Amino acid sequence: MNYFPEEVIEHIFDSIACHKDRNSISLVSKSWHKIERCSRRSVFIGNCYAINPERLIGRFPSLKSLTLKGKPHFADFNLVPHEWGGFVHPWIDALAKARVGLEELRLKRMVVSDESLELLSRSFPNFKSLVLVSCEGFTTDGLASIAANCRHLRELDLQENEIDDHRGQWLNCFPDTCTTLTSLNFACLKGETNLAALERLVARSPNLKSLKVNRAVPLDALTRLMTCAPQLVDLGVGSYENEPDPEAFAKLMAAIEKCTLLRSLSGFSEVAPRCLPAFYPICQNLISLNLSYAAEIQGNHLIKYIQFCKRLQRLWILDSIGDEGLEIVASSCKELQELRVFPSELHGEEDNNAAVTEVGLVAISAGCPKLHSILYFCKQMTNAALITVAKNCPNFIRFRLCILEPNKPDHVTSQSLDEGFGAIVQACKGLRRLSVSGLLTDQVFIYIGMYAEQLEMLSIAFAGDTDKGMLCVLNGCKKLRKLEIRDSPFGNAALLADVDKYETMRSLWMSSCEVTLGGCKRLARNAPWLNVEIINENENSRVERNEEDEREKVDRLYLYRTVVGTRKDAPPCVRIL
Amino acid sequence: MKSTLKREEKESCSCSRSTKPSHSEASVNLSLSLTFHSTSPNRERRQDWPPVKARLRDTLKGRRLVHRGDESSLFVKVYMEGAPIGRKLDLCAFSGYESLLENLSHMFDTSIICGNRDRKHHVLTYQDKDGDWMMVGDIPWE
Repeated sequence: MNYFPEEVIEHIFDSIACHKDRNSISLVSKSWHKIERCSRRSVFIGNCYAINPERLIGRFPSLKSLTLKGKPHFADFNLVPHEWGGFVHPWIDALAKARVGLEELRLKRMVVSDESLELLSRSFPNFKSLVLVSCEGFTTDGLASIAANCRHLRELDLQENEIDDHRGQWLNCFPDTCTTLTSLNFACLKGETNLAALERLVARSPNLKSLKVNRAVPLDALTRLMTCAPQLVDLGVGSYENEPDPEAFAKLMAAIEKCTLLRSLSGFSEVAPRCLPAFYPICQNLISLNLSYAAEIQGNHLIKYIQFCKRLQRLWILDSIGDEGLEIVASSCKELQELRVFPSELHGEEDNNAAVTEVGLVAISAGCPKLHSILYFCKQMTNAALITVAKNCPNFIRFRLCILEPNKPDHVTSQSLDEGFGAIVQACKGLRRLSVSGLLTDQVFIYIGMYAEQLEMLSIAFAGDTDKGMLCVLNGCKKLRKLEIRDSPFGNAALLADVDKYETMRSLWMSSCEVTLGGCKRLARNAPWLNVEIINENENSRVERNEEDEREKVDRLYLYRTVVGTRKDAPPCVRIL
Repeated sequence: MKSTLKREEKESCSCSRSTKPSHSEASVNLSLSLTFHSTSPNRERRQDWPPVKARLRDTLKGRRLVHRGDESSLFVKVYMEGAPIGRKLDLCAFSGYESLLENLSHMFDTSIICGNRDRKHHVLTYQDKDGDWMMVGDIPWE
């Protein structure tokens, strides 16, 4: 079967990085399976409970880079208790004991402790890169261990984590010999930052390409940082400043002018609007701009800046930009590929005239031919607009629309938005991710099941009429991997119709739906290869097992395929059937 | 005013009927308190809708200004000691302390000073984010 020696095959495999391809390769033959697994450097585990560390290490002994994801997506919106699970410690422990040569660890929605970070920092001499996204459970003490012990650290990227800031000196813990940093992101830290230590660190890191500071770094410190790091490609800014005095402003602008490689800008969480113009010198070079935390900067200031960012490919912004602002974006940013518009008012307190509507969305779809990903929070929508958007942009791969008021119909016709979303799924043949909102009946799910052939992830909230809706999705979307549903009238009939379907998916989430305890129990019995978890916030409300009512509706259900059976670390509020 | 706000919000927003420093009968206090938006007290503040992440939620909560198109406004409630009904005004509508005082004097039909207490006038005070009662006028208007 093999015409070449193993080393040659391995060499060929080395050039194949994509996980899907490598998974396919490993299925060809026993010898290819062996060569592939022994040479595999990078593994992605989308659900940390689908497999365990021992089996991972057993199969991939040469592992260098590991990506792990823990809590389900809706944990981002306070729907999953903090103690649910997703602990990284057993993984680090096992990898350390097996002396795996780990160099890179990327975690998302996992619980990380200071002990885990300490163990990580001491166990892998070649460790280079730590990326933590939406994690929690650790403090700046853990960061101090990483800083102090990882001699070859290149990347420390902390995105949106809940970190207990002990206001310690973690930045001081980077030894003077540490000069290898390429990426440092601590924007999510809430406490004070040792500015002197930061400046010294940046000054001795000539390869630093990405620097994202937290809000405790004021603009004069930022000026000094940028002066000694003009090679930066990616910058995160953020500190409240009253209008800077003209001298400080001029110095900042001069420093920014020298950063000719700067392509990506973010932060601005507490920055006075008049500081934004300091960044004019590089605006025509920017390909990525994230102003979604810039709550203090009004729409007109945002527009003044963005209209000169002609090369922008990625824009994250607040809806204070307004429809008019989006129209200007549409006419200025012809290279735009990804747009995210977040709400600036969460509960509709004031009559927010500056919020965006269907007008802005249509304008963007008409003006930006390369647009393929959108996340759009708005207060109203129409079918006509969505149909136009679908016609303008058949290339969407991600389409997420969130109308702030649940069940809101087409504000012109008062009808449901089934036809609008139907047009989207029909036109966008490559659609991989979809979030729907507004008033929706089963019809929209009939369309999704019929047309969304490439759909991998679907998010549903306050939608549908009967089980038929969910059934159409489960039957029709052959490539579906993740389905998350909340506050929708789907029940046992839909849940139980095709149990084998869940083996083809990573996970299913259903909260505030119509599924009952009895239904979930039946599912768990018929599918032993699934973990069927019932999550109750208040464990004290659980009655005795033999008294419990099978007709009782389940508040939150999370199920996922696994090859390692029931997990042992579930807290009391989680019951695994 | 009974506050229905959550704890975190209370830190930057104060309840206007908290304990005031005691004075002799003749001198009374005006108080200002910072509030966010004028919501009906019954409106539920859901933490799980709309689906935005914690960091954005916190950023929006911590906002000082409410934006209305191109203008900003900063609404405050003003109570006069002894009068149960308060008045609401937009601080951004005034150019400085003088115009603020003038307006308040008119609104409450009394004479007001900020700075040194005088037994015959009302004194303008406010509660800062640490919960301390402060004299209005010490820091620059901006």
